[in-house]
Formats: sequence, structure tokens, C-alpha cells
Amino acid sequence: MKKFLNSKNVREFIRILLALGIGLSLGFILTLFVSEEPIEAYKAFLTGPLSRLNRIGDWLEESLSLIFLGLAATIVFSAKQFYLGYEGQMILSALASGTVAIYFPAPSAIRIPVAFLAGIIVATLWSVIPALLKAYLDANVLISSLMMNTIALRLFEYLLRTFLQLPNTNGIMSEQIPDEGRLSSFIPNLPFLAETRAAWSKATNVSWMLYVAIAAVILAYVLMYKTKFGYEIRAVGANEKFAKYGGVNVKKTIVASILISGIFSGLAGAHLVMGIIERIIQGMGFGFGFEGINVSILAAGNPLGVPVAGLFYGYLRSGADVMERSSDVSRELVFVVQAAVLLLLTAERLLPTVQQVVETDEAGEKAEPAKGSVK
Amino acid sequence: MPLIEMKNISKIYDNGVVANDHVDFSVEKGEIHALVGENGAGKSTLMKILYGIEQPTEGQILINGKEMSFRSSLDAIDEKIGMVHQNFMLIPSFSVADNVVLGREPLKSNNLIDRDRVLKDTEELSKQYGLKVYPEAIVDSINVGMRQRVEIIKMLYREAEILIMDEPTAVLTPQETNDLFNAIHKLVDQGKTVIFITHKLREVKEISDRVTVMRLGRVIGTVDTKDVTREQIANMMVGREVFLDINKPKINRGDKRMSVKDLTFVSETGKLVLRGVNFNLYEGEILGIAGVEGNGQTELVEVLTGLKPAADGEISVQGKSILNKSPREIREMKIAHIPEDRLTNGCAVDASIDENLIVDRYYKKPINKGLLMDYKEVDRQGKKLIKRFSIKTPDGRLPVSSLSGGNMQKVVVARELSADPDVLIASQPTRGIDVGATEYIRDQLVQYRTNGTAILLVSADLGEVMSLSDRIVTIYEGQITGVFPDASKATEKELGLYMLGIKQQTEEEMEKFL
Repeated sequence: MKKFLNSKNVREFIRILLALGIGLSLGFILTLFVSEEPIEAYKAFLTGPLSRLNRIGDWLEESLSLIFLGLAATIVFSAKQFYLGYEGQMILSALASGTVAIYFPAPSAIRIPVAFLAGIIVATLWSVIPALLKAYLDANVLISSLMMNTIALRLFEYLLRTFLQLPNTNGIMSEQIPDEGRLSSFIPNLPFLAETRAAWSKATNVSWMLYVAIAAVILAYVLMYKTKFGYEIRAVGANEKFAKYGGVNVKKTIVASILISGIFSGLAGAHLVMGIIERIIQGMGFGFGFEGINVSILAAGNPLGVPVAGLFYGYLRSGADVMERSSDVSRELVFVVQAAVLLLLTAERLLPTVQQVVETDEAGEKAEPAKGSVK
Repeated sequence: MPLIEMKNISKIYDNGVVANDHVDFSVEKGEIHALVGENGAGKSTLMKILYGIEQPTEGQILINGKEMSFRSSLDAIDEKIGMVHQNFMLIPSFSVADNVVLGREPLKSNNLIDRDRVLKDTEELSKQYGLKVYPEAIVDSINVGMRQRVEIIKMLYREAEILIMDEPTAVLTPQETNDLFNAIHKLVDQGKTVIFITHKLREVKEISDRVTVMRLGRVIGTVDTKDVTREQIANMMVGREVFLDINKPKINRGDKRMSVKDLTFVSETGKLVLRGVNFNLYEGEILGIAGVEGNGQTELVEVLTGLKPAADGEISVQGKSILNKSPREIREMKIAHIPEDRLTNGCAVDASIDENLIVDRYYKKPINKGLLMDYKEVDRQGKKLIKRFSIKTPDGRLPVSSLSGGNMQKVVVARELSADPDVLIASQPTRGIDVGATEYIRDQLVQYRTNGTAILLVSADLGEVMSLSDRIVTIYEGQITGVFPDASKATEKELGLYMLGIKQQTEEEMEKFL
């Protein structure tokens, strides 16, 4: 028993289950207070995302965005830089790649790659300022990146209203992305899959970005754990002074880690505009950029954990949607669950306590005969 | 009846480490009791249990024959036990007196703090025990020795009868150590009891009445200090014969490897820390820098290794300037560096041992192959170095934090020496580590020197400088004050005069030997 519990992975797993259990129970207790039909509402939350094809689609779409952003945050956090500018990077990327997707007169095969490129470049450039401020003036990257987020949001709104606004509509939005600029279904266009593909395409927007996300996870993992650049990032994160003493160019590494995150935030933005919403609209960020940070924390800084954490987080999000639509409980309840799970997982004392309980039990067993022998 | 009796104490940590294994330990009233052992022997754990910071897994603590169960250090303080930690627990922005009374401030009848008594009480304790402090000085502005005295007064203010001192001399200069010993004698004369943790055997002989030796979590024995020699204590500590004298084959030094001219460094606060340092370093010699800590040695090493920029002067290695080059460029010229603080610079404690061993070579072949790093090679090199430098660990993939201080230092030394340097800058290479690891590291340094490496040795341990070096220079306030071309002929007394700036050689005198 003790050996089993001493394995790090087993303990980590128990820890996650425990946090999940407590978070979900807390959510249920709250539901009991606010809902006329608490069982129904909670059922909608827990099973809703799987109940229909379009809901499964929503879940996967949101999860993909969260995975890209989670990867971005994971790389930057590995260098122990508290950079939080993903939201700004993502929406500016959405604006850039959306604009290309709408107005660049070229066939899909050119239009889409150019749109991706535009999004990634813009997202990366947007992080140059806080990265340089940090490396050369030692400015607090948390504050500068949050400020850059605000600037990005306003800039996005200004550009959208001034240059892209669709006339004669109530909403603040651009025109729709034409078919040539949209991402196609993740199911390949093969004769024997035609029916499934049609069904999925009708109900969902799950695109081939699914494969890009898988590739991105592998890429991020290889980058972090198999390349010299990843070693440098982790060395800076583990101990900046040690890295400098060992000959690592610390400033360059910090700047590079933040810039690399631009690639992943950029992918998230391009996916958001070309894969999910299919036009540029006000408020399209949905706060994904910040939830990506949570995903990275849940994944404990390991790129391979990001897809699991992303799917889980996405599930809570879309469960909340279903619950709001089908019951009298609003989605804010799920924020409580999310917050509780996150708090419990990041609370480092939770696990030692679990383990201590186990150990005191065993120590008690051992100590008793010893006491007897003293007498 | 002994004053303190710890019976059958065991402590098993959460991670399964057995720090104390059925330990018996007792202290008589009014004695100075030294507790010695290598790093990781369990001394600190035992004292933390006595002071209530850690709870024993099993066993009893008796004070004056009465069984105690300490939930926290507050309980221990109530029983008149005080501990002076290695890292001082003082508030830097408060005055000395405020720190002393903190938590037990004397109050006036209107419940405001009685400022006069705060100062008076501190001053009285200071006089009574010969612990010189300035009650009104801000702690931030006083030196390490005085901070330690403040800690002791703080304990006395809490009416401690039993004082536990955790390696109190590790941070002190020889003069300060003498002052501390005088104060300890005074404390004991006035009826206090002192437990003194150390691994400096000279101090054990000098100060203690009895000594308890621990090894691997167990007590090896308690003896009257006067009945044993230093060598006997050392043998008890490591469980085998130890040769404290260094066996150094005589060789002739070779060509000039490094030359430092008029090196000047100004700190961030604008203080002139190095004022024109000059010396040369030759192939196959160990050049020791002797000085009281804080006279520019730290900065000298940092400038030489590219961690801090020099204001003026020149450093060249084999004819090429390395002044203000990056650490990477300097390392590429086969200059290695054992830093003075293994926790700050020398290691990333949360990273694995293997990854710590490659920080100077991860980007080069054979580890880095084009796009990807070869982690099999990292593993192979880790295994090789762990074996060659006898680093005690079951697996190179474990974090450095799982190692004892001595083994951590071996990781640093293994990395730096395996780079096969032409020049090695070794700063405090054996500070705060056990006898076994010290002996090993010193032996390695001598071996490399005999094989031709030029070594610059900076150490606060004058004994180490004198026994390892071929040549010694003294440093005082950022200047070289004397050169001793034959280290074996230098005496502690004479070096001391130059280290304290009382004597100084003229430039002509030094030039011949630099």
C-alpha cells in the first residue's frame, strides 16, 4: 500500500481525482441552493456536452483553442516568466488572419496559409514589446503584458469598427469569411466517409485544426525536452543565476520563450476566426487567453498534459453552456467549480496531507511495538 | 540527572528519508556540548526536534527528568530552550533592540511599548554576557558577527537556559569566532548550557567539554573532548581513517596562463570594490587568495568569470583578453568556475543531477546533434561523472535537491573539472560540506594542479588556503597587500597582518613574485 502510494504518478492521479471530486461536489451543493430542479441542472452540466453531435463539436472546438493557448502559456511559464498577454495576441491574430481570409483574393490553398502566417506574425510581434522591456529594463512582465492586452482589445475594436464593420447591421462585426477562407472538416473528403463528414459538417465546425493541435503538442514537447533551446528555457526557469553562470544567454532565452508563445497564440486566433466564428466580431476572445493559463497550470507545465487539461477545461465550459440553456442555473456556477478545482490542484499542501494521513497510520502501527519495548 | 535527555528518537520524513534512527542524546547542565557529524548525519534534525520545529516519529524528550511533547518551538521556548539558526531570523529593517524584544515587548501601564526599557534591557544583556551590540542600529547595517550576537541576546531575553547554536562559526571571520567563543564561555560561567553544532574539528577541541558524534542518522558515541584527538573524532564521523594533511607532490610551475592587471570594479551602489588588482597565474600551481570575507574576493571571481563587468583593467588568458566577455565565451577558453554558493549559482536544485552536469556543454557535440539533443548521451555522461566523482545517488535523474550539501558540491566540482580546464577558479570549494567530501574535493584540486591546470583558490578558510596553495596573495579592501611565493613558509600570524591591512608590501617587493 505504501509503495503504491509512494509512486509519484499514483499520488498525482489521486490528487487530481480528489480536487475534481471536491470541486464538483461544491458545485452540486450550490446548485441545490439556486435551482428548482438541481438534479436535472447538474445532469445537464455533467453529461450535456456528450448528448448531441453539435455539443460534442462545441466541446472539441473550444478545447482546441484552449490547447493552443495552454501550450503558449506552458512554454513561457517554463522559463518562469509571468507573461499573461495571450488574450491580446490571440484576438489580434484573429483580426489579421480573418482580414486575409475575407479579402485576400486567392484560392484556398494560398489564402489559408497566408491567413495563418499573418495571424502568427502579428501575435508574435505583439509580444516583442513586453519581452524586450523585461529583458533589457527588467520591467515586470506581468504588468506590461496585461497592459498590452488592454491595448490589444481597444486596437482590435478600433480597427474592426473603422475598417471592417459590416454596414446596416446592429452588431459590431465584419462580413462573413467566404468558403475559400474557411477551415474544412477534420474528416477527410473520402467517398466512404462522405456521410459522416456531411453529418459532422452540418452540426459542427471541428476542422483539421484537430491534427494541427496534436502536432503542436508533440512539437512543444520536443522543443521543451529534446532541444537545446528547451534546455535553455528550463534552465532559466529553474534558476536564472545558474543559467547565466553556466553560459546560457538569459536575456535572449527569455525573449525567445515569449516570442515562441506567439506562434501558439497565433494559431489559436486563426482557428478562432477561420474555424469557429467565421467572421470577426466584437468580444470574440471570450477570455480564452486567460483560460489557457489555467489549462497550463492544470497540466503542471508539461506539454503532454495540455491536451488532457484542455479537453477537461473545455468540457466544463461547454457543460456550462448546456446547463444554462436547458435549466434555470446560469453558467457562472461552473466558474465556481473551475475555480475550486484549480485552487485545490495548485494548493501544494493538499497532497502532503493525503500522504501524511497514510504515513501516520503506518507509523502508528510501527511505533506501538516500539513503545512496548521501552517498558 | 542530565538536563536534557532525548531517548530513542527516530524521525522519518514524508519522502521516506530516515534522518534520525533511534538516537539517544543527553546534555548536562552547564556544559558546552559539541554535536558533530557530516552533512546529512542528522544533527540538525535532532536539534530541530529538541527545539520543537520537527516532531519525532517516535521517542521521548526529557527536560530535568520531565517528559515533554513539543508541538512547536513556542513550547520549547517556554521550557527555556533557545536556538540560533544558521540563517538568522531577524527583521532587517528593525533596530537591534526591536528585534530582541519582538513578540515580548515590555509595556508601559497604558499598554504602549516602553521604548526606554527596550533599549535598557538589550543593553543590560549585552553587558552581562559580553555580547557587544549597538541597540539602536538597524540590523540591515550591522555585520554578520553582530547579527549573530543579536540572535543570542534575543534568546537570552526570552530567558533561555539552553542555547542551541547551529554551525555558528560558518559565517564568521577568525577574529569574530574568537569573540564568540569568549561569549560562550561567559554564558556557561553564568549557568547556561550550550549545544554547539559544527563540523570544524578544531573548534570542537577548542570549545567543547563533551562531544557527540553522529553518522547516518545514528549516534556513534559521546566522549569527553579532552580524551580524544581531532583525528579520532574525524574517524568517528566518517567511519574510516581520514588524512587531514594534504599530500601534495612538488612540481615546478609552468608558463603564465592568466594575467590580471589593474583590475577595478565598482559595485551597483557605486562603491569601489576592487582597486587595481594585479596578479599572474601559472600552469600547474594553486594560487591562494587569503583575505577576510568581504574584501573583494567575491567580486574578483565574478569579474574574472564574466558574471559582473569590470570598470577598468585587463584580464588575459594565454595572451587573449577575456575582459567583460560573456560567461559562455570565457568558458569556451577552457576556464572553469566553482562558484562560492552552490545553491545560488552552482546548481538548479529542482533540475535533475544529469541536467545540472551539462549546463556548460549541452549545446556542443556530442550532446547536441543538429536539431535535437541526445538524451542518451546526457544519461551516459551523468552516469560516468556520478561514478567518477562518487556522487552518492541512486539515479542521475533525481533532482539535485535530493542530495546532501557535500554531494551537491561534488556535482558542481564534477562538472567543472570534467570540462578539463586550463584555468580553474575555485571559490570556497569546500564550504559547509562534510569531512569526506572536503577531503575528496581537495584531493581532486591537487591532482588537477599536478596535471597542469592553473588554479586560483579563494577561500574563507585560511587553513585550506595555506595547505592547498603553492603561492599565496593576501587581499585587503580590494587590493593585493602581499605575495608569499612559498605557501609552505607562510605563517597564519603573518598572513593575518596583511589580511587586516596592518602590513603592506611595496609594489617593487611584490612585482618579483606576482
